[in-house]
Amino acid sequence: MNQKLEDILDKCLGQMLDGESIEACLNAYPEQASELAPLLKTSRAFIRNSSAIQPAPEFKARVHSRLRAMSYAKQEKAERSKRTPAWHRKWLLAIASVLVVLLVSVGTVAASTSALPGKSLYPIKLAGEQVRLTLAFSDIDKAKLHIQFSERRVIEIAEMASQGKNDTIFALTGQFINHLQQVNEIDNVDELMGNGVKAPAATSTLPEETEAFDERGNKEELRIMLSNSREESLLALENALEKAPQSTKANLQQAIEIATREYDKALYNLEKHSN
Amino acid sequence: MSIEKDIVSRAKKGDGAAFAQLYEEHLDRIYRYVYLKVGNRTEAEDLTQEVFVKALEAITTYKWRNLPFSSWLFRIAHNLVVDYFRKQGKVEKVALDDDIVLPSKSNPALTAELALEIEALAKDIENLSPAQREVILLRFSAELSTAEVASFLAKNTGTVKALQHNAIVALRKMSSSDK
Repeated sequence: MNQKLEDILDKCLGQMLDGESIEACLNAYPEQASELAPLLKTSRAFIRNSSAIQPAPEFKARVHSRLRAMSYAKQEKAERSKRTPAWHRKWLLAIASVLVVLLVSVGTVAASTSALPGKSLYPIKLAGEQVRLTLAFSDIDKAKLHIQFSERRVIEIAEMASQGKNDTIFALTGQFINHLQQVNEIDNVDELMGNGVKAPAATSTLPEETEAFDERGNKEELRIMLSNSREESLLALENALEKAPQSTKANLQQAIEIATREYDKALYNLEKHSN
Repeated sequence: MSIEKDIVSRAKKGDGAAFAQLYEEHLDRIYRYVYLKVGNRTEAEDLTQEVFVKALEAITTYKWRNLPFSSWLFRIAHNLVVDYFRKQGKVEKVALDDDIVLPSKSNPALTAELALEIEALAKDIENLSPAQREVILLRFSAELSTAEVASFLAKNTGTVKALQHNAIVALRKMSSSDK
């Protein structure tokens, strides 16, 4: 009997959650109606009260912006690796180097460094960045470039905010995340390879001891660069927020939160690996 | 292919708009579930945001198992809440803060009444056994079906129905004694 009531109650609850009335259920089970009615009323009150709990609209907008920026970052990363499969990279490097030499000679790349998204020189600016990353000698050099380029994205975000271009802000925030994540990944590769973690013998001056020392010095330099970059970028974004039109303020605020979190994550990783 | 399966499949391939659709569809229910567990708006917002960030990061590893996508999201939410309580060194407790967001503020008297009812509801949930509480939250706040709740909790549907019945009887008694 009890088992049956549990089944009937469950069926009625399913129908109630789909919008049916209590009465419809009681009519369908007249023999159990007296037992069911109070339980269904309690359930209805519970469902009604709990459905009144809703996330704040500002919170929803904030999460939406963050997820959108993350999606852009993922998409950009996937497209970049699709565009340049590993076997192509050597050829690209050679071609790109020749191109850079040619372009530098006419000053195009130099002129493009201040180009903004949507301008004809902007793709050249991004291509120039890719070439510099490909030509970087070490992981540390690459990380420094990524920090430098993340600052460029911040300047661009600020500029796009002042022009009310929300979509471009999302895309740039995604690229910004990718740059700082590259700093993390480079550092993780070092860690995996064991650079700078070998304990030197007490009195030796073996080459690996010197390497470990250099590695620590490089990481400290990187940490300072990242820390300065954090300060300057956040200041630039805060200043932009003051002047930005109302339509871009929420996304700019989101970009500030993302930048703070990504910088802190990268700094935390560097500090963790330096110790 | 069901509509949801199609959206999930597009989201797995990196379609941001498809993931946004999943987010729009499930955010309210995830928030409600988390809020009724942690009882604090700021913490509930942080944890809910984390659920979707983790889901986006891991969506490529998601495997369709004839369960709604929401089961996966609630699993992430459940694990995050468990982690949250472990880190805080607290036991699960549903004492709600006063900063709750209610749908309409146009009628202050009604809003105040609703806030009181929700507070009473939270107290009643706290008095249920952990298993009853989980079933009720998954069934009523998360709106999962009995079969989905059973799969989520690795119990059979008969056990879930019994827990649900006992929980509602207990809630009924508590609300009668409140009056």
